[in-house]
Amino acid sequence: MMRDELSRDARAVYDRCMRIVHVARVVVPERRRDDWTREWSGELWYRALLLDRSRGSDRHAVRRLVVRTMGVFPHALWTLTDEMRIDPMLQDLKYAIRGIVKRPAFAALVVATLALGIGANTAMFSIVHSVLLRPLPYERPDALVYMYGGFKQNSQAMVSPPDYLDYRDRNSVFSSLAGRTVYGTAIITGSDEPERVQSSIATANFFSTLGVKPYRGRVFLPEEERGDHAVAILSYGLWQRRYAGDARIIGTTIPIDGRPHTVIGIMPPVLDRTMDVQIWRPIPFGLDEMSVRRFHFLRLVGRLKPGVTIAQAQRHMDAIARDLAAQYPENESWHLNLVPYRDVVIGGVGPVLLVLLGAVGVVLLIACGNVASLLLARASARSGEMAVRTALGAGRSRLVRQLLTESLLLGVTAGIAGLVLGHYLLVAVRAVGDGMLPRLAEVEIDGTVLAFTFGVSLLTSLVFGAAPALHAARSDVAAMMKSLGKASTTRSAVSTRDVLVVVQVALSFVLLIGAGLLVRSLWRLQDVQTGFDPSRLVAASVSLPQTKYKTRDAEVRFWDQVFERVRAIPGVESVAATTLFPLRGGGDTYFYIEGQPPATDADRMNATPAIATEDYFTTMRIPLIAGRVFNAADRSDGAGVMIVSDALARRLFPGASALGKRLVVDFGKPFVGEIVGVVGDVRIYGQANDAPEMMYFTGRQPNAGWGMGFGNLATRARGDPDAIVSQLRAAVRSLDPDVPLSAIQSVESILYDSVAAPRFRTQLLVGFAAVALILAVVGLYGMLAYSVTQRSREMGIRMALGARPTAVFRMVVRQGMMLVVVGIVLGVIGAIAATRLLAAQLFAVTPRDPAVFVVVATALTMAGLAACIVPARRATKADPIAALRLE
Amino acid sequence: MSALAVLSAISRSVRYGFDIMDAIGLPSGTVYPVLGRLERDGYVRSKWEAQTIAQRDKRPPRRYYEITASGARALAESAEHYRTLGARLGIPASRTPTK
Repeated sequence: MMRDELSRDARAVYDRCMRIVHVARVVVPERRRDDWTREWSGELWYRALLLDRSRGSDRHAVRRLVVRTMGVFPHALWTLTDEMRIDPMLQDLKYAIRGIVKRPAFAALVVATLALGIGANTAMFSIVHSVLLRPLPYERPDALVYMYGGFKQNSQAMVSPPDYLDYRDRNSVFSSLAGRTVYGTAIITGSDEPERVQSSIATANFFSTLGVKPYRGRVFLPEEERGDHAVAILSYGLWQRRYAGDARIIGTTIPIDGRPHTVIGIMPPVLDRTMDVQIWRPIPFGLDEMSVRRFHFLRLVGRLKPGVTIAQAQRHMDAIARDLAAQYPENESWHLNLVPYRDVVIGGVGPVLLVLLGAVGVVLLIACGNVASLLLARASARSGEMAVRTALGAGRSRLVRQLLTESLLLGVTAGIAGLVLGHYLLVAVRAVGDGMLPRLAEVEIDGTVLAFTFGVSLLTSLVFGAAPALHAARSDVAAMMKSLGKASTTRSAVSTRDVLVVVQVALSFVLLIGAGLLVRSLWRLQDVQTGFDPSRLVAASVSLPQTKYKTRDAEVRFWDQVFERVRAIPGVESVAATTLFPLRGGGDTYFYIEGQPPATDADRMNATPAIATEDYFTTMRIPLIAGRVFNAADRSDGAGVMIVSDALARRLFPGASALGKRLVVDFGKPFVGEIVGVVGDVRIYGQANDAPEMMYFTGRQPNAGWGMGFGNLATRARGDPDAIVSQLRAAVRSLDPDVPLSAIQSVESILYDSVAAPRFRTQLLVGFAAVALILAVVGLYGMLAYSVTQRSREMGIRMALGARPTAVFRMVVRQGMMLVVVGIVLGVIGAIAATRLLAAQLFAVTPRDPAVFVVVATALTMAGLAACIVPARRATKADPIAALRLE
Repeated sequence: MSALAVLSAISRSVRYGFDIMDAIGLPSGTVYPVLGRLERDGYVRSKWEAQTIAQRDKRPPRRYYEITASGARALAESAEHYRTLGARLGIPASRTPTK
């Protein structure tokens, strides 16, 4: 009705303008939209009415109205930003940036401190994320189960091929059940130098069970399990390294262990660490030894059917194991142990990583404490500014928001710097920690890590920004106004900073205790007596191609010739060989004392067998406790002889001599040997593991041991062991160019490497603890220095009133050390609670080791004292005259 | 500054958006956000003109703005501020922007 009052021209102008209004109105928040439109409509109608009254044909006036209508866009946008409170946020941000630019040193200090914490957290989280959280590179990895064989004495044994076939065919819980060998090597010959690589034989369904697709070519076919197919799948690494990534290798043949094999496929580059195998071959079920239930050499992998839990599967497989034991006597007590595949891949590093992640979290907290302390100090200094802003009408919430925006800006800047730092830390960790962490190659900064870092930055901003912001919110405007023109410090700010220092000291104490325990444990580990003398000793692995060295005699001849040539090298003191080199691991076998065969299979005893040549014990300097070592008279035609380790001798014949006793040892065929010597125990499985009970055989007696086709050359040099390495290689090559010499290493470096993983995590935790200590000491120093500056007037007056400088000095030191002592007391409580997490990582050290606690407490006290001295000395320099003048 | 100009116009009973533009010569894209800000901060308040007036003129109602007590106080303080500033800079009071 009303709108008819406009002339047609004016109405057209109004409609045109309103169309613009309707476009812009979309932006306006819904809550305000109707009011907003009505306001514009009211004004535009009124203006159109005016146009009518002043002869609306004035084109200039019309254009002006349309141009003015364009103001709806900024207006609509403003309404939107106002609704979202972006506008004041932008103002806060501008103000915060201005503040940072004005005090670049302060900002740099804050950003650097936080970036250190955030960077360490980013790196550590990337590792935890890749190692523990990210799914394995397989299809539905949670359904994968790893299976050990188990019997009375060993829950992580292997499974025999016939047992595997029974488990595979009788079970109804796995959609697929596969097997593979986990130890094994193969020699590749051909155009290049011969090379010994890790190799595994696997069932045809092994890769499909895991859900791994070949990178090139195909996987095994079921008919290739029969044993008459010489086919092989190469790892991506071997393909790249030895065959230059040439895809034409598929379908060609390469000599493996002296026999041509057709390459049928290449594995993808990223698999898990249990798949660190360069050559895969199909299991030859057709061969005789594949049907022996006593020969256990497979591990199984199964894919659970949907809805089946691992516990259900375990019960089901146990039932099958009982049936098999009833059917085959040699299966007595044998069963399967099911564990999630993921646990096997990750190994025992999960708790270690979580402890380290906790440690970097603590470092970040301490860094936050320092920054909060800095900001509090600055907030006190800025109380004048805050007073002015409050007086000008800024509400408390506005001030809090302003301070939080400043912390947020600092936090996000530190987050970006931390991300860069984290990237470089990861590069360093990958370089140093290679082989010490599973899945390390997969570690990278991805979207999740970015989100983590961003979240940490925001959270830290809130943590370190909260204290100053709350301080500002609580502050009394009148008091602040009074302090205008001079920096003030209110009681609450000082006590908040005191609390921060105490917490920092306590947290760094906990970290230092953790680091101290690991260091002590590492020392203990390195001090362990291995049972032989590693100095100037070189170890090298030698593999004889089976096609060339078919008999025990051929093997023995080869070794004798090697010894001859190696002895001729100048600088060689002595040389010997063994099938089982200390610190490189091995397996065990069954035996019984002659005349006392076990009543049941479950009563069988086992020990670790090794072949050792005549000079082995003298070369290794393993002490001979009783009897003699092997000599040239111990031949194939003579009576069987053996040497046992002290531990085995004591177990078998407590209180009596083992010499002259005879043992029957199972090497497929029984070997009967008389004990001619007892030697010292050797830690075969690394320093952290007890020495196993050992049986040594001479390589010259045919049924003793599994032959010397694979052995370790042990050479003791007179001088530098590295100097003889190239000559050792040349000596073996001159004898037979098809025999690869691998893993040549000085034994001292093997010992060093064997504690590489504990050393790595010790170094990481020591690094974190050191950073924490530095941050805490800097925090204490900063707090005291600031407090001394604030109280210089008080100090001056004290001294004017006759206080001696030493009294002032003591006062300041007492103030600082009070906080340190309280911090240490709290730290002791925290450490007692926290170090339990470390217990599993410690070797011969208890989590409450008093020595570590005393040393750390002393060190922290000294560091705290050092932090107090400079501010305390400055306090004694306060000028009484200047102080009085100010009053 | 524009906020001060708008506030000053409203204090002189220029009450409607377009009228304020006319009075101080600022574009609608500036004036309306300023009005919004002033209203949000409590320096002005807006009302809809009485339905009867709009009906009499046969048009939709217009929104008008009036200054609040705190708006008037802020305006006076600013005027004083500029006067002092002007005096310090040697500019006669009549030439300071609020006048």
